[in-house]
Amino acid sequence: MAKHSVSRRTLLKAGAAGTAAAALPLVNVHGQAAGGTLAIGFWDHWVPGANDTLTKIAQEWAQKNRVELKIDYITSNGNKLRLTAQAEAQARTGHDMLAFATWDVNIHQRNLEPVDDLVADLVRQYGPINSIAEYLGKIDGKWRAVPTTVGSQLKPPHVRMDLFKQHAGLDMQAMFPGGPEGRDPAKIAAWDWEAFLVAAEKLNKAGHPFGLPLGSFSDAIDWVGALFRSFNAVLVTEKGDIVVKTDPGTRAALEYMKRLCQHLPSDVFAWDDASNNRAYIAGRASLILNPPSAWAVAKRDAPQIAEQTWYIQMPKGPAGRFVGDLRYFHGIWSFSRQKNAAKDLIRHISQRENAERLVAASLGYDLPPFASQFDFATWRDEGPPKGLLYNYTPRDDTQPNISGYPSEKSIAAQMYNQATFTNMIARLVQRNEAMDSVLSWAANELEGFQRG
Amino acid sequence: MNTTVAAAVSEPVSRAAPSRWRPSLSRSRKWALWGAYAGLILFAVFFLIPPYYMLVTSLKTSQQIAAIEGNPWALPWPPTVSNWLALFTDTQFPIFFRNSVIATICTVAISMAISILAAFSLSRMRFWGSATLATGVFLCYLIPETLLFIPLFQVVGFLGLMDSMWVMVLVFPTLSVPFCTWIMIGYFQSIPKELDEAALIDGASRLQLLLKIFIPVAMPGIIAATIFAFTVSWAGFLYPLAYIFSFDQMPLTVGIASTMIKADVFQWHMIMSAALLAALPPLVVYAFLMDYYIAGLTAGATKG
Amino acid sequence: MADGTAALAQTGAARSAAGPRRGGLHRMMRRQSTTAFLLCLPLLALVLGLMIFPAFYAGWLAMLNKSMERFVGLGNFTFLFRRETFWNVVWQSCIFAITAVFFKALIGFILAHLVHVLPAKGQRKWRGMLLVPWVMPLAIGTLAWWWLLDPSYSAFNWVIRAAGGENIAWLGDTFWARFSVILVNVWYGAPFFMIMYLAALKSVPEQLYEAAAIDGANAWQKLWHITLPMMRNIISITVLFSLIVTFANFDIVRILTNGGPRDTTHIFATYSFALGIGSGDIPLGAAVSLFMFPILGVFAIFILRGVRRRADAMG
Repeated sequence: MAKHSVSRRTLLKAGAAGTAAAALPLVNVHGQAAGGTLAIGFWDHWVPGANDTLTKIAQEWAQKNRVELKIDYITSNGNKLRLTAQAEAQARTGHDMLAFATWDVNIHQRNLEPVDDLVADLVRQYGPINSIAEYLGKIDGKWRAVPTTVGSQLKPPHVRMDLFKQHAGLDMQAMFPGGPEGRDPAKIAAWDWEAFLVAAEKLNKAGHPFGLPLGSFSDAIDWVGALFRSFNAVLVTEKGDIVVKTDPGTRAALEYMKRLCQHLPSDVFAWDDASNNRAYIAGRASLILNPPSAWAVAKRDAPQIAEQTWYIQMPKGPAGRFVGDLRYFHGIWSFSRQKNAAKDLIRHISQRENAERLVAASLGYDLPPFASQFDFATWRDEGPPKGLLYNYTPRDDTQPNISGYPSEKSIAAQMYNQATFTNMIARLVQRNEAMDSVLSWAANELEGFQRG
Repeated sequence: MNTTVAAAVSEPVSRAAPSRWRPSLSRSRKWALWGAYAGLILFAVFFLIPPYYMLVTSLKTSQQIAAIEGNPWALPWPPTVSNWLALFTDTQFPIFFRNSVIATICTVAISMAISILAAFSLSRMRFWGSATLATGVFLCYLIPETLLFIPLFQVVGFLGLMDSMWVMVLVFPTLSVPFCTWIMIGYFQSIPKELDEAALIDGASRLQLLLKIFIPVAMPGIIAATIFAFTVSWAGFLYPLAYIFSFDQMPLTVGIASTMIKADVFQWHMIMSAALLAALPPLVVYAFLMDYYIAGLTAGATKG
Repeated sequence: MADGTAALAQTGAARSAAGPRRGGLHRMMRRQSTTAFLLCLPLLALVLGLMIFPAFYAGWLAMLNKSMERFVGLGNFTFLFRRETFWNVVWQSCIFAITAVFFKALIGFILAHLVHVLPAKGQRKWRGMLLVPWVMPLAIGTLAWWWLLDPSYSAFNWVIRAAGGENIAWLGDTFWARFSVILVNVWYGAPFFMIMYLAALKSVPEQLYEAAAIDGANAWQKLWHITLPMMRNIISITVLFSLIVTFANFDIVRILTNGGPRDTTHIFATYSFALGIGSGDIPLGAAVSLFMFPILGVFAIFILRGVRRRADAMG
């Protein structure tokens, strides 16, 4: 009995020491891997070498803090990252921290450790945070994951300058120069969806249609969402009321899409995230809405096309200028035993100098959640053609958007993941359904999403 | 040979013009043969289009793949062999291959052990519920992996096998054991009961009966079941996709799909050469064991 | 020796359940049945632990609400019944499975005959060649098809264009997308049917055909009156087996179309994946998967009948 109580007391003591150690700044812990092991699942970057830079940044932190890292790079392809998150949430074991794309923070909110303090610190350091990141990551007033640079991407127009000049008489480089100088607000204001439509028609006639996917993958959903938003379309309110049937913006956006689709290839309804890249690299498409992966691959496989590539801002609609923004987060599982270490590492990765290294390593693909960091040299200098990436970041009056914003989040997540937007367009255009029947189909579908 | 004898015998009885019977038979035979070749070529083309195209693509550079002009079916000249070499030097392909081999060998061994023991028991001995079990095993085929992979998250996590290649050894038998057991029951039942009765009279134990009589006699069936288990675990996709995320634990199928496709960038030339190599081991296995496979399936699954 | 007779007696007793039971024999039987049970234990553990338990657990999951915090009974099922998309999936799964299995069986049957006609020496080569699709891991073979059907780079469209035709939106148009997923499934599965039917053909006694030839039967009559009846069992078993596997197929649709265009190529497995993993609604995804049961159950009745017939024939 006495023996038992002694052993129990020692245990308690050890426990107390453990807690104390965890509370101490990690820097002071001595010994090999005294901080334990931190298991991380990062998003697997498509740019060769980008993973290595992230590993290096993480290892610098780990060495200083004597934490052993176990890093897995998990591809988002084929929903692998999502599957991993579901698997770990179900099994309540796995990594300590994991990358989450867009709605997955909302899906896993109950299993994610709140990170309000960390985000507040970062906002204090770098100013206002990306509004879409806030919409996706802050749930019921609590940040459940930290918006991150790694993997976050925009989908602005990625155009062929030569084809635009030749067939549409538009000098896109002059309209959107590769820097803050020489921008003419009147010209930029004139770049709206109507101008876009005229260009789409001319280039399609010339045999170089716009490569705008309308399938169920994120490239399609992201750009269509931006278009709907710029027509002020609201399908579901913030509170979750379904207003699609009577919403004038939705009607206007669909009417516009009906006109635009006449100038798009007929198979866009099946395009996946790689189809538009391929159409562009093959020299077929004159415009795609994509992060710079298409340009980077063209640089290797079709350099003559890469040299003629330029980024421009999205066209403007009645409600403003919006661009599809696909956000990544780093979240910490609530069942992790390394929460403090994970938070500290996320803080380290989010520092400006590290964000800059990540942006450089990803050839400008990754986009930090802070507008104050849009001045990195990569976007100014990367090429050829030099400066094409300046307009990859949101400039002028462009605002980020995610399809479904500002609808109630769990409904919006399903609208996004089940491709409600592009389904509506396909019904209207491909199946020639009447507008009202499309809208009531959507209303019915959305009612299904209300399921709690 | 048999047929000619039969034809010779049947000659006087069967046809009105016996003198023309033999040449017309061989002529129609010849036509049938030509027809068969024509049909086979047609289907072989259909079946071999994807592997051929994989070969062509695997020999192209990424520039050649990106070019939209030119005949995509033509073998590129000069062919790029570096894709194949790069597979072994620049990618984790050898690791995927090793994992697939280990997982498959273990899965096959476990599946066969489980199904031979069970089939022996179910085909020759009785216990309470054995008949139910025999049909129940068969009905397990009705539970698809797409239903099981989510609830299995818990089991896998509980056993600490999440993100380990051994999870394949745990779950792949669920795909192979029902069918293997079924084949083996069929095969064991086809062994005459007199044989084991005689052995038992000679004082052989049940174990000796299994090892000395059943297994040797049922070898074709065992080979057929082994090949089936091999095919299933070599091609396993959904389970490793769901449970394995470290590159060094992945099998070929998932490894190829998750390291050679990144976001919207596809390395087609690598994917294709890796895929062809991944198809090689089963091809070799089938080439050598095909005759046993057919014999085993004939006896095991088709008896009725 | 004594052991042997006891075992003999035991077999007899087991055959007629109502047989007489004496003390020693009874004990003997108990020992026998313990051994028998132990031999089946690994199988039982596997089936119960990794199949039956998860299947029931999936049933439990399917009765929870979206956030998996509340029990909703059959709510998810009644919810699904009201969704148009769900009924499309049911419909498409049936089209997919039945069409694909029909063509797999047909092509397998034809091929088996074609190979069977060849001289024994040439058979090996052809068999090997025709088996390639079945041998290649499906997920990988499908990737190759995907590249062949790509909107920009389709090598089939190249041929069509060269012949003066128009590009076909293989995966973009509902009809062609359905055609494509079925095509790939037939490509993958037909060789297996070929092998099974070839095995069956080889077991048909040659004398039957000779006898028919004597009676003046033509090729068609031989097929109808000898081959088909002899192969009836194997045909029904392969078809039913394949229906199950095809019904539950995942890889092909997942890789080729991911359900598109407009969810018209979704089948149970991919739709369940899209709901459960894609949208994070695991209970609803599980409910969709479970809906395969009643349909598969119908097949099961047929299969059981076949199995029982076999058992009777053996007994």
